Amino acid sequence: MSVLVFSLIHLVRGDPIRLALGTRFSQETYDALRERSGLDLPLVQQYVTWAGRAVTGDLGVSFRSGDTVTSLIAERLPATLTLAVAALLVALVIALPLGMLSALHPRSFVDRLATVVSQFGISVPDFWLSIMLILVFAGTLGVLPSGGYVALTEDPLGWLQRLVLPAVATGVVSGSVITRFVRSSMLEALGSDHVRTAQAKGVPTRQVLTWHVLRNALLPLVTVTGVQLAYLLSGVVVVEIVFSWPGLGQLAYQAVRDRDFPVLQGAVLLFALVFLVINLLVDLLYSRIDPRIARR
Amino acid sequence: MTQLPTPGATPAAPPPSEPLPTAAPPRPRWRETLGLLARNPTAAVSAVVLVLIVLMAVFDETLAPDGPNDQDPSRQLQPPSWSHPFGTDEFGRDILSRVVLGAATSLRVGFLSVAFALVVGTLIGLLAGYYGRWVDDTLMRLMDVLFAFPAVLLAIAIVAIRGAGPANAILAIGIVYVPIFARVTRASVLGVREEVYVRASRSVGASDWRLITRHVLPNAAPPIIVQTSISLAFAVLAEAALSFLGLGPRRPNPSWGLMLADGRGFIDQAWWYTVFPGLAIVVTVLCFNLLGDGLRDVLDPRQRTLMAGGGR
Repeated sequence: MSVLVFSLIHLVRGDPIRLALGTRFSQETYDALRERSGLDLPLVQQYVTWAGRAVTGDLGVSFRSGDTVTSLIAERLPATLTLAVAALLVALVIALPLGMLSALHPRSFVDRLATVVSQFGISVPDFWLSIMLILVFAGTLGVLPSGGYVALTEDPLGWLQRLVLPAVATGVVSGSVITRFVRSSMLEALGSDHVRTAQAKGVPTRQVLTWHVLRNALLPLVTVTGVQLAYLLSGVVVVEIVFSWPGLGQLAYQAVRDRDFPVLQGAVLLFALVFLVINLLVDLLYSRIDPRIARR
Repeated sequence: MTQLPTPGATPAAPPPSEPLPTAAPPRPRWRETLGLLARNPTAAVSAVVLVLIVLMAVFDETLAPDGPNDQDPSRQLQPPSWSHPFGTDEFGRDILSRVVLGAATSLRVGFLSVAFALVVGTLIGLLAGYYGRWVDDTLMRLMDVLFAFPAVLLAIAIVAIRGAGPANAILAIGIVYVPIFARVTRASVLGVREEVYVRASRSVGASDWRLITRHVLPNAAPPIIVQTSISLAFAVLAEAALSFLGLGPRRPNPSWGLMLADGRGFIDQAWWYTVFPGLAIVVTVLCFNLLGDGLRDVLDPRQRTLMAGGGR
């Protein structure tokens, strides 16, 4: 994977340094940047140096600002984490009740409503939903700010006000995906033999639901929630831009615009790592929830 | 029952080249599939709407009331009216016309990128699933690596490297969806590979090529078809996101994502500028999703729980 991220900069058409510097620059600036970024070394040596440094957390230096990529990422990480976690909360608040209700009452009004809402949710582009939310809540109603970010420590209310719209915009999309999973995994658990047995021997409904249905339905839910969190951390690029949310997505996008390849490499590597770590955590959680897997 | 040769009669030699009758594989019956699909109202309506959208994209220049770039300073940012049902933009261009013309861009990028992912991904999945062992390991690890990158970011990175433009957007979205097709195909091939009719055909000496083309691929196809419809939905979304970021088609070519990006600047004055192109995206994506669900119910009911949510 690191090879692929490393190759990014070498797949660029033309000279990355020349692209980054634009049209007006002196030979000295060019040579200095080239030497500092190590692009004058042989390819294998470049990779070994880059990977060796990356392992220790040194992802190089931005072509633009001269700051280290690690510090740029560290600066942006809290904002993205905040947004992703808030969005996941919104998603679960929508998905759990809606998915459970529609599984418990299949073909009812709630079920149909849940199907329509979740279909709409996975079909709507999150950035368009963002614009529509701004249009309604910041424009017409004027109750929430249209974007920006303040630290929680500076202005807790302002922080929350600015968090609501982007969190809802991204949360609705994830929530729709999770709703479908909750519904289908609940339905599957409800139809299984052990649930029928439990009902037949007279176990109270509430107990059947919590111990026999929910516990089994939880397993696929953990996976999809993990995947959604990974998606939220990386997939909020466009929403961050719409709401001027100073997160990693915006950093990556700015890096694309500025052709700041070390920053782009760093961001892509981080996102891919986050994805792998979350998947690993999901696997570990699995064996906690389902002892059968641990024993295998 | 075959009769035992009577003594004295010449024994009937087994016909040398005639293949033994094998169990006929359960082929998907297309007419039946279409019939079932037509009985699913949601899927049927989605299919009809999609056909209309495709027709709109094909005959865009005949259908659009105005040319894509017909400017008229006297009618800047006008709200929807009889003469301009979707209103006008800051150059006085008719938004309805641009939405109609934008369909061609979105669908072209969507279809071509999914076609790329379908061909490459299916081939990889087929090889991995059919040959197994090191072929499987090598190809699928490669797919895992590609899959580890967040879709939108990978597409953005590819476009950043190759440069903005429709061709690179197609390539970027296509590459992002290759691993999904590879996985779906591989899983499906694994299920089909050991079926009786495949083993029977192999035992009478059918070549790999014949086995793959005649038995494995046709029977492994249903999940791939379902995935194609769902991927088209996400490809249209991805195209919109890339053009919204200015990484797809260039101005002044009409594109739904680009119109949203431009309309964002006039959000206080002209709601119609962002509402209608966005609705066009939602309707198209919704129809591909609903059609995909309908196809899944008909072709591949067992996959329902596994694939809900597609690749998003």
